[in-house]
Amino acid sequence: MQQSEDQLRTWMTGGMDGDAAAHAALLRALVPMLRSFYRRRLIGAGDDIEDLVQETLIAVHTRRESYDRGRPFVAWLYAIARYRMIDHLRRQRATVPVEALDEILVAEGFEDACAARIDVGRLLSQLSPKQARAIRDTHIEGLSVAEAAEAAHIGESDVKVSVHRGMKALVARIRGARA
Amino acid sequence: MNTDDLIRSLATEVRPVRRYALGRRVALGIIGGAVVTLALVAAGLGFRPDLSLAMHGFSFWMKWTYTVSLGILAIAATIRLARPEAPPMRWLWLLAVPILLLAGIGLGELADTPTRDWLAMWLGQSWLVCPWLVLALSMPIFIGLLWSFRRLAPTRLRAAGAAAGLAAGAWAATLYCLHCPEVSAIFVLTWYSLGIGLAATLGALIGPYFLRW
Repeated sequence: MQQSEDQLRTWMTGGMDGDAAAHAALLRALVPMLRSFYRRRLIGAGDDIEDLVQETLIAVHTRRESYDRGRPFVAWLYAIARYRMIDHLRRQRATVPVEALDEILVAEGFEDACAARIDVGRLLSQLSPKQARAIRDTHIEGLSVAEAAEAAHIGESDVKVSVHRGMKALVARIRGARA
Repeated sequence: MNTDDLIRSLATEVRPVRRYALGRRVALGIIGGAVVTLALVAAGLGFRPDLSLAMHGFSFWMKWTYTVSLGILAIAATIRLARPEAPPMRWLWLLAVPILLLAGIGLGELADTPTRDWLAMWLGQSWLVCPWLVLALSMPIFIGLLWSFRRLAPTRLRAAGAAAGLAAGAWAATLYCLHCPEVSAIFVLTWYSLGIGLAATLGALIGPYFLRW
């Protein structure tokens, strides 16, 4: 389950004030977020995903000074995660030239992505908790249907049906909002 | 290493981060480098003998206003680019303000000077060495900023390198003013700006290699 921006930021600022427990809670909460972030972008990267998650956690830890307490935490986090991913790709295959880094970062538009995430959260809150959770687990957190079913203590077919109905309801809502 | 173990080991050393830690770190890098640059100016070039007299004159303060205002804007850009989610910096057009003001003073000077003296005024005594000295003197400050960046998270490395180079060049030029006896605005506009520009260009060239993390 993804923690809210407010919760993450509270832990982050707590850690920056020297609270080790808040810092540990933050890093633990980031693990699933980062796993799904990298899984969605690096298909078939396998073990590299966990390396990237760890490298990102280390960067979050050692480069905390670059976080401004007054700014959104998630945007800061994903900017670091995206940089680590581009660095990873460059080390692996050198398919991303150093020169293109600026453009990629701009073009990827992380602010839009963050805004989209917030919008998704708002949309999901209009569904039943079961449907919302099924969609969040399978489509945002990147869990498989089996994993999502186990996590929610329901059957796999129940997850699939919840996703299907939830999606249908969302589509109807979005269409209704646009009409 | 297992991710849980990593988190446990990271959480054992949680040092508090002071407010404005990023600004402090950038300031420390610049000041550390500037002390070296100042020592180089004092020991290697020598302060201009008429320094205390010059500090009462217009041209000295014109030069400092120019280099300091570029330096402040460059530091602001450096601090922005030290954050991973560096937002667009539309205020960078402000860099044009000191340049245009100095150009305005330069035009006034040219109007007051007979045409045959224009070349001498433009080249001064030191046009051949001025840009290179500014570039050389910027190196300690640039290295200081590279140190600052080690705990920060720049993601646009070329832009961050250019901003750091610009800051280093502008502050090196500020300290170089303590030595340089040139007085004309078009001299400063050309040769100081060239030296500062060279420092920024060098920063943009080597930034991606030295700022990677």
